[in-house]
Amino acid sequence: MILQVLLNGIFLGAIYANIAVGFSLAWGVMDVINVTHGTMIVIGSFITFFLFKYVGIDPFLSIPVSMFVLFLIGYCTQKYLLNLVVKVGIFLSLILTFGLDLVFINVVLMIFTGDYRSVTPSYSGTNFQLGQITIPYIRLATLGICVLLTILLQLFLTKTRTGNAIRATSQNRQAAEIVGVNVAKVYSITLAVSAALAGACGSLISMVQSFTPFEGGFFIMKAFIICVLGGLGNVLGAIIGGLILGIVETMGARVLGTGFQEAISAIIMILVLIFMPKGIVGSKYK
Amino acid sequence: MTIEKWLLFLFDGAPVELKKNQIIIGIIIGLGFMALPLFIEGYWIRVLSSIFMYAIITGALNIIAGFAGYAAFGNIVFFGIGAYTTAMLMLRVGFPWWTGVFVGAILAALFAVLVGLPILRLRGHYFAIATLGINRAVEQIALDWGSFTGGGKGITLPLPKMEIQSFYAMIYFIMFGLLLLTILTNFLIARGRLGYALRAIRDNEDAAEASGIFAPTCKVIAWAISAFITGLTGGVFAYWFSFIEPAMVFDIMIAVKAFVMMMLGGAGTVLGPIIGAFLLELISETVWGQFLTIHMLILGIIVVGVVIFIPRGVLDLFRKKISLSALIRNIKNQSI
Amino acid sequence: MAVLEGKSVSKLFGALAAVDQVDFHLQQGEILGLIGPNGAGKTTLVNLVTGIYPITHGEILFETRKIDGLKPAVIARMGVARTFQIVKPFPGMTVRENVVIGSLFGKGGKERNTKMAFQEADRWIEFVHLQDYRNASVDQINISFRKRMDLAKALAMGPSILMLDEVMAGLNTKDIEEMMTLVTRINQELKITLLVIEHVMKAVMGLCHRVMVLHHGRKIADGTPQTIVRDDKVIEAYLGERYAKTRRGSG
Repeated sequence: MILQVLLNGIFLGAIYANIAVGFSLAWGVMDVINVTHGTMIVIGSFITFFLFKYVGIDPFLSIPVSMFVLFLIGYCTQKYLLNLVVKVGIFLSLILTFGLDLVFINVVLMIFTGDYRSVTPSYSGTNFQLGQITIPYIRLATLGICVLLTILLQLFLTKTRTGNAIRATSQNRQAAEIVGVNVAKVYSITLAVSAALAGACGSLISMVQSFTPFEGGFFIMKAFIICVLGGLGNVLGAIIGGLILGIVETMGARVLGTGFQEAISAIIMILVLIFMPKGIVGSKYK
Repeated sequence: MTIEKWLLFLFDGAPVELKKNQIIIGIIIGLGFMALPLFIEGYWIRVLSSIFMYAIITGALNIIAGFAGYAAFGNIVFFGIGAYTTAMLMLRVGFPWWTGVFVGAILAALFAVLVGLPILRLRGHYFAIATLGINRAVEQIALDWGSFTGGGKGITLPLPKMEIQSFYAMIYFIMFGLLLLTILTNFLIARGRLGYALRAIRDNEDAAEASGIFAPTCKVIAWAISAFITGLTGGVFAYWFSFIEPAMVFDIMIAVKAFVMMMLGGAGTVLGPIIGAFLLELISETVWGQFLTIHMLILGIIVVGVVIFIPRGVLDLFRKKISLSALIRNIKNQSI
Repeated sequence: MAVLEGKSVSKLFGALAAVDQVDFHLQQGEILGLIGPNGAGKTTLVNLVTGIYPITHGEILFETRKIDGLKPAVIARMGVARTFQIVKPFPGMTVRENVVIGSLFGKGGKERNTKMAFQEADRWIEFVHLQDYRNASVDQINISFRKRMDLAKALAMGPSILMLDEVMAGLNTKDIEEMMTLVTRINQELKITLLVIEHVMKAVMGLCHRVMVLHHGRKIADGTPQTIVRDDKVIEAYLGERYAKTRRGSG
């Protein structure tokens, strides 16, 4: 029994972790809190929904598509909007993304209406038994893809030229500029990658829960709590934070019921902010 | 410090630089607004009351976010605390509305001191999101503590014992009075010690402390004042609408709108936030109030536009008489 | 009388000792120079005195009162003022408003209302010869003026000790000379005790009664400007071991 809850927590945590990793990338590298990240996830969900329902494409196969579309959205957002205000003030980009979020939500709302949607391929609900534990196939595949994405991201950041440029810029923007890094482009790519990750998450989440255009705020709150818990701007912290939150929430839901859960998460976040400002794992992207 | 010294602290200020005709214009406008209910119909009285309310919330936000530079995105939590306190005191204890409102404001201010002491130590984004978290947490408590607060079903307040049109007119005057209070508060803070301290903290907190400013104390005071005024407004709102529920009074959208209004008018100035509130709310109400969907979309576009083109507010534009080409050049200079 | 005294002061950042068991003292009325290669711990020491960083070991006494562990604002109001290496003005304000922060919140600020504080600020703006730029916005004036403004703000705090952190950096010859005159006036007319962090040797030799040298967080020399300039350890610290050896070999 406990093992089942734990496993469910890990499944949830993996998704949370991926949400946080993407969110933390923009924050850690550019000091940009991308409030649209939640709605970008939702856009990913809707892309998968659309492709599944109207074109008949399997949700897992739609992941590259949603990643690509969101990559473009992220790139353009950074290049044409955020790059204009990043230097000016820290909360200017926050407000800008707030406004942009309203625009995104409304566009999605106009196209898809506010009804609850979900993606249910033929293999939904199928699972296999491992002793006393039930493991749904979809959940397992989601976990696998989350792990894969994280590994790919790490490889990208450490092994490719662009990835290293991103890491250099996050540590010291001026030094990177002097060395010849095109900071504007690096920033654009950073948000693009962050958005792509959001898209992938959205596609995965679409099979797990139903969603509306307004789901974004919920995801952002989770992402924030996890980044605070795990320490800002590092992948490992986001993963650990995500897993912890996933497990705590799943266990908490068993014990307390879903009601006070939100209040508790918010309070935990505030306590961590006060007492462990660097998070459980550590600080900036290094 | 004694009461006298506190008052001196707040009210003592730099020599007033207001020109005589500016004061006269101000008085004329003020009298105009006070006489307005005689000439306009009920709908517009309510619209204006709503505009006043946004202006008050924005003006109160200006104290902590504009002067001190601490982006309290969750400032609306004090509105909710004021609203719920008033509602519960009127309903359960039978207090008259103004007692409820006043107590609500005091509770809001105390809450600001309580959470401010730990939270105001955080900088930048962290503070902003912590305040969002606080708002969320308090909203959840209001939702979940159904037995006490009525939960998701909300609270219905005792209806006012007067004719409805007179009631709305009374609300109009109360809101206008609160607006004057807000403007006065901002004015006194701006020209007094607290204002200089807050601006120094905003511009460079370390240098401010090295100059002898007790930053934590000043920040908490600023937030408490902001909370008090916001709490008053929440209480009056509850009385006005006779029904509140958590989603209404802890609504983040109100907080975001207030932020944009503050920026639109000019953060850290006395009249800027008020002007920004009037501008944005008038546009919202008269043109796009009809379609909820488009409303949000246009608001979003306005937010983006304001941040990019007028981050320092319209007052700043007028004062510096910036042309369009200069504006675009500014943006190019500041981009990455 | 020692206005400022530090006993075995250490500051550790993790395992790194930025300041390592430094004893120092500042006599009333003197100008003490604090020199050393970059990274020696000079600014850190000043930060410890003003309370920006808590000290790890040791004690700091101001007029025989223990001040380590006190908040920066408290120390500032006791009469300890400083300027910053990279000038930290308040960008949203005018020169006059910047200086008035010092007269409003420094020592004696509590007794002044804003009108008096502005008068006091004007006095110090005149002292540093910035009166023509009183109402200019801080971002519009050049670095030499900004340093003088920073100085005026510190003076407006009514300090008994003033610590200048590389106040000459970035100035041309003429500005350096003007600044040196100002510093001398501050010391002799206003009777303020000074601690001056400097790299500009002309200023160090010309102004300081006594000089203290830090290297890797440790004090390696303490004496008159003439003595320390010839001190082997100091030369080695600045110019490297090899040069010191050759010098010793030929000298």
